[in-house]
Amino acid sequence: MADNKATSKAQEFKALSKKDQQRKIGDLILNNAMYIIIAIAIIFITVKQPKFISLSSIVNIISLTAAKLPIALGIGGCIVLTGTDISAGRVVGLAACISASLLTTVFKVFPNMTSAMPIPVVLLIVLGVGAAVGFVNGFSVAKFKLHPFIVTLSTQLITYGIILMYLMNGVNNGQTLSGLTDSYRSLITGTLFTIGGVAIPRYVLYAVILTAVMWVIWNKTTFGKNMFAVGSNEEAANVSGVNVARTIILVFMLAGVMYGITGFFDGARIASANANTGLNYECDAIAACVIGGVSFVGGIGRISGIVVGVLLLQIIFAGLNFLSVDPNMLYIIKGLIILVACAIDMRKYLVRK
Amino acid sequence: MEDKRENGGSPEQDKGPEREFRGLYKYVKISERSLNWIIIVLGAALVICFGIGYANRGYMVDFDARGGTVVESQKRMYGDLVTVPEEPVREGSVFEGWYTDENLTIPWDLSKDTVTGPMTLYAKWRDK
Repeated sequence: MADNKATSKAQEFKALSKKDQQRKIGDLILNNAMYIIIAIAIIFITVKQPKFISLSSIVNIISLTAAKLPIALGIGGCIVLTGTDISAGRVVGLAACISASLLTTVFKVFPNMTSAMPIPVVLLIVLGVGAAVGFVNGFSVAKFKLHPFIVTLSTQLITYGIILMYLMNGVNNGQTLSGLTDSYRSLITGTLFTIGGVAIPRYVLYAVILTAVMWVIWNKTTFGKNMFAVGSNEEAANVSGVNVARTIILVFMLAGVMYGITGFFDGARIASANANTGLNYECDAIAACVIGGVSFVGGIGRISGIVVGVLLLQIIFAGLNFLSVDPNMLYIIKGLIILVACAIDMRKYLVRK
Repeated sequence: MEDKRENGGSPEQDKGPEREFRGLYKYVKISERSLNWIIIVLGAALVICFGIGYANRGYMVDFDARGGTVVESQKRMYGDLVTVPEEPVREGSVFEGWYTDENLTIPWDLSKDTVTGPMTLYAKWRDK
């Protein structure tokens, strides 16, 4: 619908009846209401705080976007399947805690350890943990036909319990994990290059690579095509020979792997990990996907849309931070953004009878 | 299923050609006009919340004196310095500055570090 409007020529528009013209303008405004509100907000913020568009602020926004991108790319697949995944944030937390407990100089969780584990081993462990949670999610959705919301709600709680128990291990007693090794920190937050004296961290590069990999998976592989087929019509996909159950399980496992990566980044990025790491990350990721046009209608979504969605959300929240907007109100604003985005998403799929 | 939908089509959609939702949204029973109103009302609510949040702007900086005399909280804007607070006193201990974390590993430089969000500063004490 949106594409048609963009390409429709002025003449065509004039030829329409007055009612149709009004309807077209109404469509244009309402379907893009979110972008209009965000644009106005950005202008307002820039006028009030000119520093908002300074180089360091822009680099900060790009870094935050890179940090939140992998989790959104993972959740995007679940949404394409008309599902969702609310266990994401806790899986990120678990991955961050595991990374921080193994790649550290103070071994509180495992007092018997004497030196940090090799980084690739730890990375494999957190990817495995993410994939395992994803497998439980996917298996329950595909084989037991449970709603993804309920399944991931339960895995969210289970994962949280595991995090708390993990942090009680050894002599740690539930405290925040810190004292990470320099090699781990520099691998993630080391300087990639500097622009005008502002350093860009390495994880920006990793996020770009992950985005490219996900783009290939979504658009150029049979698995990606199957994912969209199952998302838009499960029965039709089944009839045409797609292994629906395997596709669903793989999508959730891939998402789990992405949460594992996010957690691995986050441990080093924040330089510590505790039971609250990753809390509510799934809300941001789902909101970003919906803003970016990954539709709950199923089978529709693009990687570029997710990137734009994450970027827009980070711009808005960095801006609100610059304005020192009441932090309690931020949650309400976030919730409203999700609601508006969903309503607009629904409106975009209005078609002529 | 299809017949039922057509018979039950809402009379509100009599303006212009009728439209319906695609995909999963097919099962959503809502008229286009109601949906438009939902978007407009929620959008307005978003702007109003933004306004209220802006009117109440500021971040609370709390001080945890850890057994010392109470230090009053401050409300600061993004990028502000924290006003140097009155030094807390604790029986038998010497105050050694404010830290941003409970484990007292990251010190807070009152003359240089700026506020970026709500936070709590923790006092560090050394026994006399």
